[in-house]
Amino acid sequence: MKASQARTTRRKMLKAGAGSLLVPLTFASGKAPAQGGKKPFEGVTLNVSCWSSTYPTLLAQYIPEFTEKTGIKVNYDTPGFPVYNQRADLELSTKGSGFDVLNVTFIYTSRWIGAGWLTPLDDFIKNPERTPADWDFADFLAGAVDPMRDKKGAVYGIPWISDVMLAGAGRFDLFKANGLAMPDTFDELDRALQVVNKKDNVAGYGVENHWGWTFIPFLQGFGGNVFRNPPDDLMPTLASPEAVEAAEFFAKLINSYGPPAAAGYTYDQVTEAMRAGRINYAPHNHVFLALLGEPGSKVTATSNFSMVPKGPKGRFPGIASHGWGIPVGAKNKEASWEFIKWAMTKEMILRLVEKHGLGSVTRKSITSSPAYKQKMVINGVDTGQLFLDTIALSSQGYMKYRTVHVYPQANAQINQAISRVVSGQMKAKESMAMAQANTLADLKRAGVKL
Amino acid sequence: MSRHAAFRLGLAPALVVLALITIAPAIYLVLTSLTPLNLTLPDTAWDFSAPLDNYRDLLDDPRFSRSVWVQVQLSVATVVLQLAMGLGIALLLNADTPIRRFARSGFLIPMVLPPIVVGIVWRIMYAVDISPFHRLMDWVGLPIGSLITNPDTALWAIVLAESWEWFPFTMLMALAALQMVPAAPIEAARIDGASEWQTFRYVVFPFIQQTLLVAGIFRLIDSIKAFPLIFVLTDGGPGDVTEVTNYYAYRQAFTFSLWGYGSAIATLMVIGIFVLSWAIDRLTRAADTDAG
Repeated sequence: MKASQARTTRRKMLKAGAGSLLVPLTFASGKAPAQGGKKPFEGVTLNVSCWSSTYPTLLAQYIPEFTEKTGIKVNYDTPGFPVYNQRADLELSTKGSGFDVLNVTFIYTSRWIGAGWLTPLDDFIKNPERTPADWDFADFLAGAVDPMRDKKGAVYGIPWISDVMLAGAGRFDLFKANGLAMPDTFDELDRALQVVNKKDNVAGYGVENHWGWTFIPFLQGFGGNVFRNPPDDLMPTLASPEAVEAAEFFAKLINSYGPPAAAGYTYDQVTEAMRAGRINYAPHNHVFLALLGEPGSKVTATSNFSMVPKGPKGRFPGIASHGWGIPVGAKNKEASWEFIKWAMTKEMILRLVEKHGLGSVTRKSITSSPAYKQKMVINGVDTGQLFLDTIALSSQGYMKYRTVHVYPQANAQINQAISRVVSGQMKAKESMAMAQANTLADLKRAGVKL
Repeated sequence: MSRHAAFRLGLAPALVVLALITIAPAIYLVLTSLTPLNLTLPDTAWDFSAPLDNYRDLLDDPRFSRSVWVQVQLSVATVVLQLAMGLGIALLLNADTPIRRFARSGFLIPMVLPPIVVGIVWRIMYAVDISPFHRLMDWVGLPIGSLITNPDTALWAIVLAESWEWFPFTMLMALAALQMVPAAPIEAARIDGASEWQTFRYVVFPFIQQTLLVAGIFRLIDSIKAFPLIFVLTDGGPGDVTEVTNYYAYRQAFTFSLWGYGSAIATLMVIGIFVLSWAIDRLTRAADTDAG
């Protein structure tokens, strides 16, 4: 009996030893191990990071299913937007292997892709052994995928969001009671906010204090821009008369109609304040506005939505896409791709839409599905259609300023400039002139020839 | 082997480790500051063609000089406030009763909290909608706006939070010094009719002033490292009102990837701290000589 046990043990040990030799060999060949009841990536751990938005936060609760299916363990974190970007930028620049899957942030696309810090995904997408045909890459919105391509058209990210700015009014009943519709122009917005501000103790206006994102539709609406003609001519134009006028108008909205400390509101604070009925109107991302219709919102029955108002020179809502990418230094690229595939299947996205009201999705089959359409209708308003109408505006090409490699520099200067104006530290003209001078210095320091 | 050679041999491993963990990174920092290193352009890593360009740029960079001025204000204000708070509370706690022993431990809490937790505590304190402080001011009919988004108060809001976090250090130092003051001169002063203030000013204070000076130096040097509270509470704003020098260096390096320029700022900071330490050392030596 003892001898038999000993033989069994030796046999098991030999098998285990052979297996432990085979597993790394199989991975080294770039192929998943054969499935013989064993999970294909047993023992692999991925480090995955994305900034804290609705989709990545919701996805976290389903990761155990991914581990169950593939055997891959996932260390997953979702820090705030600026923290994530700094961490990812630094990690990617070292070409290190600290992360296996990262979010490709819109304003960093040109910089990260151009510097060769991300892995091209075409070999994964086009190879039927790695990606089944029904995963259907062609299903992704072209406008969301395009920023994830390099000049030759290679794809470096699978977009999980088309971040589209809409306008939402949680307490539209206060507009309606005063005979007001959703504002369609900057002038109408100003006039409407004068009327509804502080009605029923609700602040009229709120806006995310990432001014490098929320100020630009006003800047462009007044006829200004960040650069003279991006991406070819990167001369900053932040001190133009249009920019000054836009900054004055933008600061007026915040200071006259915002809640106390309005200048300190982050995107999640704006969302929660709207859901709680403490802020009435905000130009805000669709993905956040969609939460006005989800459980916990006090304003579902009084909300209304529209495209962001237009200025004298047109309507320029912010549009950005973020996607999953694989750092060039990642050691388990096959496993990384498994994660991305799983996270972006039609089934997963549809689940998140149906169960959690996820908006701003990037798959055409989902945006046209009855389930999505039904979920995106909030208090009778089809926000899904507003999303698609807004995306259609991107063909004007006005978002090009955002994907140039030195936009992070301009973004930081715009944040500071608007902060100075909103806080009353400086007049708009003075502050925008300072932003212009500082951006010029930063761009020259970054090697941009102007 | 001579006695001295044996000592040198014994010291060698420690010196090598010290060199590896402190001197080597410092040399790398200085070398980097002589390049235009930009992480998106790897070739710039060892480009020493214009080694002083970063330093020349800094001389013409108003944001850098502004950040130095913000740093000076922050450092002076926090050190003065921490010394005042620490000494005041140490005087109140300088007695051996159970309540005071308990209070002494309680006062240490801010110092042992991780800086990021202190940041979150003060973030809540300064959030107009939910802060107990703002609610209290509302209740007494003196509502005040946000302190961290107002350019007139943002720096002082940081000073207050920073002082709250670190006054326990000066309190502990002052308390230790107070407990070393001999009882006889105090008793003699009282017998001679000195008031409480006179006893403190002319008897107790001379005994503890050197300790307070050392505590102040420690806090002054540490204040230059102020970062987490600014990161959590104001992000250097509004505008650049709370952008101290290390925050500016961080922004250049981590937000813009301009590591050469960021390293030049950091190098100047290191030089500044050396000069400050040297000056303080000279001053305290002179004070010691005078006292002796």
